[in-house]
Amino acid sequence: MLTCLAALLVAAQSIDSLPPRHAPRTVAIDERLAKDAGLRLGDTVVLAATPGAAGDTALVAAFVRRPSDPSEVAKGVYRIRVHLDELQQLVGYGERVERFAVGTRGRAATDSALRGIAAAAFGFRAYASREIAVESSTTFLVVSRFHRAIGVITIVASAVFLLCIMLLKVDERRRDVAALRLIGISRRSIVRGVVLESALIAACGSAAGVVLGSVVSAVVNWHYRRVYRTPLTFSLVTGEIATIAVILSLGLGLAAGYLAAQRLVRRPPLSLFGR
Amino acid sequence: MILALAWASLVRHRTRTLLATVGVAISAAMLLDMVMLATGMRESFRSLLLAQGFQIRLAPKGTLPFDTDATIPGAADAIRTLSARRDVVAVSPVLGEQLHVERDTASVSAAALGTLAPVEGDYKLLSGEAPRAEGEIAANDALLTAVGARVGDTLRLAAGFDPQLRAFTGRRTVRVVGRVHFIYLSAGERAVAVPLSALQSMEGAARRDRVSLIMVRLRDGTDVEAARQAIERGVPAVSAISTTTAIEQVEERLSYFRQLAFILGTVSLAVGFLLVTTLVTVSVNERLGEIAVLRAIGIRRIRIVQQILIEGTAIMLGGAVAGLGLGLLTARYLNSILAAFPGLPEAIDFFLFEPRDAWIALGLLAGSGILAGIYPAWRGASRPIAGTLREEAVA
Repeated sequence: MLTCLAALLVAAQSIDSLPPRHAPRTVAIDERLAKDAGLRLGDTVVLAATPGAAGDTALVAAFVRRPSDPSEVAKGVYRIRVHLDELQQLVGYGERVERFAVGTRGRAATDSALRGIAAAAFGFRAYASREIAVESSTTFLVVSRFHRAIGVITIVASAVFLLCIMLLKVDERRRDVAALRLIGISRRSIVRGVVLESALIAACGSAAGVVLGSVVSAVVNWHYRRVYRTPLTFSLVTGEIATIAVILSLGLGLAAGYLAAQRLVRRPPLSLFGR
Repeated sequence: MILALAWASLVRHRTRTLLATVGVAISAAMLLDMVMLATGMRESFRSLLLAQGFQIRLAPKGTLPFDTDATIPGAADAIRTLSARRDVVAVSPVLGEQLHVERDTASVSAAALGTLAPVEGDYKLLSGEAPRAEGEIAANDALLTAVGARVGDTLRLAAGFDPQLRAFTGRRTVRVVGRVHFIYLSAGERAVAVPLSALQSMEGAARRDRVSLIMVRLRDGTDVEAARQAIERGVPAVSAISTTTAIEQVEERLSYFRQLAFILGTVSLAVGFLLVTTLVTVSVNERLGEIAVLRAIGIRRIRIVQQILIEGTAIMLGGAVAGLGLGLLTARYLNSILAAFPGLPEAIDFFLFEPRDAWIALGLLAGSGILAGIYPAWRGASRPIAGTLREEAVA
């Protein structure tokens, strides 16, 4: 069955007492519309192309769930599915349609079909689904670039924060380090110790961050699915993302630890004692 | 003396103070950006809507302006009804369609806005004149560049295609009389302004006496909400949308950015707060002996607390001032990313700087700087003097 999507005025109406002269028309409606308008299967609705215009009655035959299309998530419009010929008649569209979907066997067949249609077409164009996907995902590419930029700023802030904390930590222990140096522990060993400590802190922080990120991601999905009433996944913590985050934080932790340790071991032990 | 002591304490650990200030500057920049993001869209959109002085917009019932292909029927009657109202100064109908500029090889499509030149509110004239008669159009630079035309040139326009006859429909030969900038269109979008009646006639029976949008300018001092409700009652086929309602609806759609701004702003503030708290705590721990000596020679506890608070606030304020410049730079960069949103009017700024935003960010940071210092300062100044001095002497 070919179906077409249309946003139409829908109003609930009681069933007419006279028997219909032909089989009743049927429509499938968005489950959100059904919930908001209190419609049930078998109810009769009036469909009209414009507000206040005389319309056609139709039976609610099915409920449909909005597909997970990110480009429509913020619009919140209701959608109903109507038989194509009935919709054309209702809105005075004649035999016109807005688009055809054509199934092909593989990529080569798609390219060949595109060329054939382009040669014969006048007034319309054929696109491969992948082209449309690229076009319609522009919004999300922009959001993704924005998130990446925010991510870079966050990483820089984290790096400075980490370096500051490591400096404070090694500064606090300058007397211990001075004592170690005076009893013959080498600079290299002290640097290794500090770097190891910072690596451990970074590893613990990363593990906590992955857990926290997963929890926040679940909360974000729960919240926005409720707000937009969609099954879309808004936030996704994949293994790849977690790995990148852990590597990044370990790298930053090691670098901060090394810089802080170098600053400490360069000073003579007695000056670390304050003399 | 307190200021001198606080300054000496900050200068004693230059690297530490510098790093903390840089950290706070980044947090401040992020906070400023997020405050700008939270308010910028609203203000930018409001000034865009009010740029031409129209306070109410009428769209087909149940839709937002140009959100769907739906049109308002009985446009002439609606305009008459609106014009008859005492509180209405101007009524500007607009029909939005797609037109095709015929070229030798292929056609170039462009958005077309059918308007009435004396009351139009969709474009600004850059050169030439507004199209008033049939056979006249004004185009924006994107379209003129795409078709290689200039003001004074003649173009062939078509409203659509007839696939069965393999011919264009609604064809007209027109002269470009003006070069315009469309206020509500996105950057690079090709567009043309056409007299309303000419566009309706090109589109045929389907668009006869129909428009996509009617903009209404009210007399100064009119209650916009009351007028909006009265207009909606008087013209049943439309939804009347005031600037406030339009902003609310756009905000609802872009609520993601407002929530993101709130979350990231809070995180930035928390990071700055933690950084200063850590720094002040360590600094106080290092100076327990010094604080005990100051108290032993008669300096009051409150003075010591004040000195430590000044240190924390100085780092916060120093970072905040540096963060202000950094924030403006990053805001410009982030805005350039978001400006690429498809269909977004060119004039919309996600990050709109207002002095109030800077004051809010500065106030929040100064407040958190003071809060960050209170606990470690009080803790350091409250330790028993004799015990602390003995511990420090042994150490």
